[in-house]
Amino acid sequence: MATTTVVPGDAHDLDAVRARYENVDHAYHEQRDNRLLGILLFLVSDVILFTMFIFAYIYLRNSVPNWPPIVEGGHQLPRFDVNFAAFNSIVLFGSGATMHFAMESWKHLNRPAFFRWLIATIVLGIGFLAGQAYEYSSLAISWAGSTMGATFFTLTGMHGFHVFAGVVFLCILGFQARAGVYTESKYFGLTAGTLYWHFVDVIWVALFFLFYLW
Amino acid sequence: MAASAGTFAHDVEDHIHPEPEGFIRKYIFSIDHKVIAFQYFITGMVFFAIAGLLAELIRAQLLKPEGAIMSNAAYNGVYSLHGTAMVWMVIIPLVTGALGNFIMPLQIGARDVAFPWLNMVSFWIFPVAGAILFASFLVGAPDAGWTEYPPISLQGPPGTTLWCVAIFLIGISSTLTGLNFMVTVAKMRAPGMTWTRMPLFTWATFATALINMVATVALSGALLALFLERVYGVPFYDPARGGSPILWQHMFWFYSHPAVYIMILPAFGVISEVLPVFARKPIFGYRLIAFSSMAIAILGFAVWAHHMFTSGMPPWLQLPFMVMTFLIGIPTGVKIFSWLATLWGGRLHFSTAMLYAMGFLVTFSFGGITGIFLAAVPADLHEHGTYFVVAHFHYVIGGGSVMGFLAAVFFWFPKATGRLLDERMGKIGFWLFFIGLNGTFFPMHFLGLFGMPRRYATYVEFAKTLPHGVAQFWNVFESIMSLGMVAATALLFFNVVWSLKWGKPSGMNPWGARTLEWTISSPPPYYNFKKIPTVLGLPYNFDQPMPYRNLDNEQDPIPVPTTLAPPRTPVPA
Amino acid sequence: MAQVSRPAKMSMGPFFWTVTAVLTFWNIASAIWIAVTPLDYLLPASSLNVTDRGADIDFLFRFMSIFGNAIITYVTGYVIYFAIAFRRRRDEPANSVGVQIHDAPVLEFWWTLLPTLLVIALAVMSTRVWYLVQYGTGAPAFAVEVIGHQFNYEFRYPGLEGSVYDEMHLPAGRPVRVLVSSADVLHSFWVPEFRLKADTVPGLVQNLNFTPQVPGTYVIECTEFCGLNHSEMQARLVVDPPAKFEAWLDAQKAKAKSAATGAATVDLAAGNAGAGKLLFAQKCAACHSVGGFDQKLVGPGLGKIFVDKAHPKLVDGDAPTKANVAKIIENGYNGALGAMPSAQQNGLTGKDVANVDAYLASLK
Repeated sequence: MATTTVVPGDAHDLDAVRARYENVDHAYHEQRDNRLLGILLFLVSDVILFTMFIFAYIYLRNSVPNWPPIVEGGHQLPRFDVNFAAFNSIVLFGSGATMHFAMESWKHLNRPAFFRWLIATIVLGIGFLAGQAYEYSSLAISWAGSTMGATFFTLTGMHGFHVFAGVVFLCILGFQARAGVYTESKYFGLTAGTLYWHFVDVIWVALFFLFYLW
Repeated sequence: MAASAGTFAHDVEDHIHPEPEGFIRKYIFSIDHKVIAFQYFITGMVFFAIAGLLAELIRAQLLKPEGAIMSNAAYNGVYSLHGTAMVWMVIIPLVTGALGNFIMPLQIGARDVAFPWLNMVSFWIFPVAGAILFASFLVGAPDAGWTEYPPISLQGPPGTTLWCVAIFLIGISSTLTGLNFMVTVAKMRAPGMTWTRMPLFTWATFATALINMVATVALSGALLALFLERVYGVPFYDPARGGSPILWQHMFWFYSHPAVYIMILPAFGVISEVLPVFARKPIFGYRLIAFSSMAIAILGFAVWAHHMFTSGMPPWLQLPFMVMTFLIGIPTGVKIFSWLATLWGGRLHFSTAMLYAMGFLVTFSFGGITGIFLAAVPADLHEHGTYFVVAHFHYVIGGGSVMGFLAAVFFWFPKATGRLLDERMGKIGFWLFFIGLNGTFFPMHFLGLFGMPRRYATYVEFAKTLPHGVAQFWNVFESIMSLGMVAATALLFFNVVWSLKWGKPSGMNPWGARTLEWTISSPPPYYNFKKIPTVLGLPYNFDQPMPYRNLDNEQDPIPVPTTLAPPRTPVPA
Repeated sequence: MAQVSRPAKMSMGPFFWTVTAVLTFWNIASAIWIAVTPLDYLLPASSLNVTDRGADIDFLFRFMSIFGNAIITYVTGYVIYFAIAFRRRRDEPANSVGVQIHDAPVLEFWWTLLPTLLVIALAVMSTRVWYLVQYGTGAPAFAVEVIGHQFNYEFRYPGLEGSVYDEMHLPAGRPVRVLVSSADVLHSFWVPEFRLKADTVPGLVQNLNFTPQVPGTYVIECTEFCGLNHSEMQARLVVDPPAKFEAWLDAQKAKAKSAATGAATVDLAAGNAGAGKLLFAQKCAACHSVGGFDQKLVGPGLGKIFVDKAHPKLVDGDAPTKANVAKIIENGYNGALGAMPSAQQNGLTGKDVANVDAYLASLK
């Protein structure tokens, strides 16, 4: 590999570099680029966390001949109720759609619409959590009673915690937006919130399939 | 020249924040990557001293086959905390938090990392996690090693729960640091610094950050499950309740194997920086070394079950892991040969940093070879769980990560403080450490192959299988040799403290090095670079002017070491 | 542009080929030595070929040692040689530089290819031995179960009611399958001279297939941390000539039969406290102190077991008489408070139980 010798005054390098820095408020965009990569990497690491528990669930499920497993006492645990979960899933996916519309409204400079869609998202998110709470209370299996309970409650519990954190995050974003923190060209916080909320939806797709359909 | 360079809106003081004021903002809750690096260094060295003391307790216990100084219960806690602390509270924070934080932003021409406040939070989790870990001694230390396999870890003393908490916390710190570094390297390099113009320590830090960010979360999952099972009885690992002990091993090693690459890749980066400077010639095979770091980072995720060959995995699963483990030895071997070729034809200066780097080549290669011995499944059936394994990992971690770290300390201390460490103390320390390391860990290979299991507080039965007194002799020999490493560490601490006050002033570039950190003052100003320089090429040609434009300070175009003794006879011009 | 001082036209270096030749000669010589010398300096009883699998594994070690030694010799040798040959001389100018090369593609190709080929060869050889260990060379003559406990091994033989503790016997010259499992936590079953190891995993059975070839007494070591007395968890493995093994097995079967038909009543009054004290130290002291009840290790202190007013009942609810204490020592305990091995698991005969009982009674 030959040494790259660049003679001082070489036009090629200067132009390429200058073009990259053409942006008027490049300071903001640099920051935004960094933070966007940061939130994406954070979500990647969060996916790994869920993946580990999903691996544990698949491993434990495959290591016994029966699923739902047969517990002490000789009886087999019941399967989960798909119907209620499907309804709750629609609530959650609906909140993903409303969040998308909220962002679109913001980008199209429609602040009132943004707030309507944001509140709808938050309400649906809380609705999903309420649905989960109802399901938890009506389930016959316990967290510590079997590996089925262990994996189900831990995974859906972690997911629920993420939804709860997301609801809090969205509320904060709402208050910030009202206080004028974000403008029509600088709204990275809202982008981050939307990405996180969609991530929470994607995780639920996996969990719904793994626990209710499989 | 200056006029045309000034056309960038970018390279003037407008992006420099005012200097932080007050002792707290400047030194305690600082967001300056250099201060944070120093904080990691101090905290890490304190934990190194504690974990090293625990090691000496282990060596004292093994002076007699029936155990010389403590009960089994105490010993089990001592060795568990020695291992746990060394991995998570010493090596990983030092090579990522201290070295990565200090050097990488300077090498890429940045003023700080991407998320300085997050950097500060990452640091402050560290001493808290360490305190929680050592506090476990007060409630009954965790006793099942740094690997805490269930079911035994489900029964373990209360300290095992604290262990889960402490490691979970330091895991958060690691993950955030990894994320921070990845964004910094990806987005904040100086203009002109393409990926293939990055210094090799930065490549190493990037590869390490990738592993840090992806793998550590996996451990958090495992720890969370262990915690839930211990505290709330949620069954993941207890076979009596449908769980699987092997599940823990998969989850744990999926992180902990990449973790060893977290520990070694920065050391590889250090060697790649130190050797060219003290050989006065380019690093050999720059691209191979850069890309092999990434290859090792990625392949490192595919070998974890080589820690589990005897554990009861389905037999067919052993083969792909064996093959992958063999394969990952190839890029590592290529690096060793490239480093050797870097030495060839050089004009070698034997500074302390260079001695550690050259010693690294020997001891790390040796550890790598014993790794191949362990990778072959049938051989591993004999070696697993014995002192052979203990010898292997101490050669690659002690003879690899620690030696690389010490080389870095001697190399970059002048940049951080403006003073050189005392070279004479450094060299004595090197020989003490090198001889101590080899003396302590070399005989362990044989003890292991002849039947001495690890994690044994007493070894009476094993001693009976060898001629009388032989087992004890070698254990006593190892314990005595380990004092060499103790002495070297004490000398290093003294050297650091002494040199802070009385070390020779180093100037900007005492070693005649060529990466960007050597173009600014020692220590650097809080903002690092007043003007962000433009990078025109690789920093490894020692017969050419430095490949930068728009530097803050006047430089010799071709820097030379300023630490050399003047020639005895005058040199003709 | 500043001038640099370069070395005059350089070959590979002073005496480079000589040093290379010396290192290569040394490697070839040591390779031959490793290949032909008995490996007993590295692996226990290697030249005896204690098991057939062990011999296969030792061959693998030879191969790895030859090439490992070669690599280490070259690396260390060149580091030392370069340190001498290419050191900067005292009086060289400060700006002297080395040879400014960046790579050498041909060299890099070979030093990537050769280790890859080596590794492939090693993988192929290892796979062959792996297969033999997992599946054996044919049907085994019989299967023995090894069950790990905290902190001893239980052995079960086909056709034998009950289990054997402390000493496992195998016949020489017959292929055997050892089925390894655990009753509580992870342990491991390892005989260094056999080279074979398998972790004992509760809920799982692992196979080891081999033929022991050399009669003798060997040590079984536990190599997976299993609790307080992990370091003291060993057992004996005796390889007998086939006839002797059959005799031993018959004796075990006879013993099991007699134990089943009417437990021999043990005379507790004849218990020897002195002998009991020794036994206590060997078998009980890991979990019980001889202090008061509250001086707990794993179980309570037993020093006042017969006289403690604060604890008027034993763990199973009986009154603390000599007979009841002997019963607990005989049967062990498994319940809410923990697990204590039985006399059989501890390797205690009826007489031993009486001795320990007498010793406890002698403590006041």
